Amino acid sequence: MIRFDSVTKRYPGGHDALQNLSFEIAEGEMVFLAGHSGAGKSTLLKLIAAIERPTAGSVLVNNQNVGKMRRGAVPYLRRNIGLIFQDHKLLFDRSVIQNILLPLQIAGFSRHDAASRARAALDKVGLLKREKANPITLSGGEQQRLCIARAVVSRPALLLADEPTGNLDADYARDIMDMFKAFNQVGVTLVIASHDEDAIRTYAGRVLHLDHGVLQS
Amino acid sequence: MKTWLAHHRQAIVATLARMAQTPFATVFAVIAIGVALSLPAVLYVLLNNATRLAGTLPAQPEISVYMRMDATNAQIDDLRQRLKARTDLADFRFVPRDAALVELSKQAGVADISAGLTQNPLPDAWVVTPREAQPEAVARIATALQALPYIDTVKQDSQWAQRLNAILGLGQEFVTLLAGLLGAALVAVSGNTIRLQILTRRAEIEVSQLIGATHRYIRRPFLYFGVLQGLFGGLTAWVIVTLSIYLLDRRVADLSVLYHTNFQLQSLGLIPGLILLLSAMLLGGLGAYLTVTRTLFQSGAH
Repeated sequence: MIRFDSVTKRYPGGHDALQNLSFEIAEGEMVFLAGHSGAGKSTLLKLIAAIERPTAGSVLVNNQNVGKMRRGAVPYLRRNIGLIFQDHKLLFDRSVIQNILLPLQIAGFSRHDAASRARAALDKVGLLKREKANPITLSGGEQQRLCIARAVVSRPALLLADEPTGNLDADYARDIMDMFKAFNQVGVTLVIASHDEDAIRTYAGRVLHLDHGVLQS
Repeated sequence: MKTWLAHHRQAIVATLARMAQTPFATVFAVIAIGVALSLPAVLYVLLNNATRLAGTLPAQPEISVYMRMDATNAQIDDLRQRLKARTDLADFRFVPRDAALVELSKQAGVADISAGLTQNPLPDAWVVTPREAQPEAVARIATALQALPYIDTVKQDSQWAQRLNAILGLGQEFVTLLAGLLGAALVAVSGNTIRLQILTRRAEIEVSQLIGATHRYIRRPFLYFGVLQGLFGGLTAWVIVTLSIYLLDRRVADLSVLYHTNFQLQSLGLIPGLILLLSAMLLGGLGAYLTVTRTLFQSGAH
């Protein structure tokens, strides 16, 4: 599903975030990206979602070279990828349910379909009762769950999560990891960046270790 | 198709809601656009009225040739032959003094004067239309006519009409220029409100792009905002024009009574009004398009 071929990413200024990376992730896998902060985990996820483009090498997602993708085609790639951000990127000028509806509106779902899908997604993360609340009134864990609901509401085949448990205490973190496990069991491919080695060990998935932008085997 | 319609309905509803959220900013922007547009529109309407008024006057250069008061019928016939012989005249007609008096008494403002006359003060006259309309040619013919016998005076009637036409033409150019300038101002006003909109909605734009919104999807609500703002500005301008003309028309009516005429100002017609609205919408949309394209997609934002 995802293939990196000798990928290097150099940011302007000369900093090499990733160096000569090659690996493959099969469909239905649940892969952890481990490494200290600054090791290039976020950059790797950004390359998959075409938020950044590689300086050298090729990034293939579903056999499409996303590094060379036309700008006009990028939105359609992103609609098949659920993105979960460490800082949630929720919109506080609208209710919980409106936040979930956004990707569905963008993809052009009818109002009726969108509403029922959004409720289903909220139910899955246990926030159905808060649908009319403003996300700013939610706790950190709830906000992260809301972010996950937004990522999965359009049922993408691939979920990318950047430090999804970063700011959460152990109980919340476990909830969220269980949720990911459940998505994985219904066939969703997951790539989860985390510096939380304990969580990674618990879930015994495949782990890619990054150290200063270099893949450790 | 369904998706497309849904997107557009969504965008219109969201835009109107956003305008309602900041009523003051919206109203001020609409007034600014309305006033800017009403200026050339009012001038256009006034100019149209002036053109209409001028249209009732002869624009074709004509020369009036007045005979001596004591001219006889034989002399009139003689002159007719001489005029006929000239090749530089497109047309000429004889105006007998009695007919001239009747015509004069029908004209605005002199009915009372002519009613008080005991005898006809007007001479027999000829109205001559030169073949060429250039002022030099007309003047040359006038001089030649003056040299004919039995002639008292020769007058180039329509010079002032030509001058009026030239002034009206100048006025039209001025209105066009003003419309162009204020149209550019509209683009700027629209662009500026859109820029502020974009700043307050940065987060939403960023998130939308991250979850698969196309440029078109992002641009659409801003375009609608610009177009709707232009539409409301255009409507405001239309109202301003109609009100101004209504107020002016009462003064014009007073004046018109003093001149014994019945001249009424015409307001902005349906077609020019619709053109006003359409161009306001287009310019508003253009301002929005330029700003969105510049701020969002050329700054390298993802």
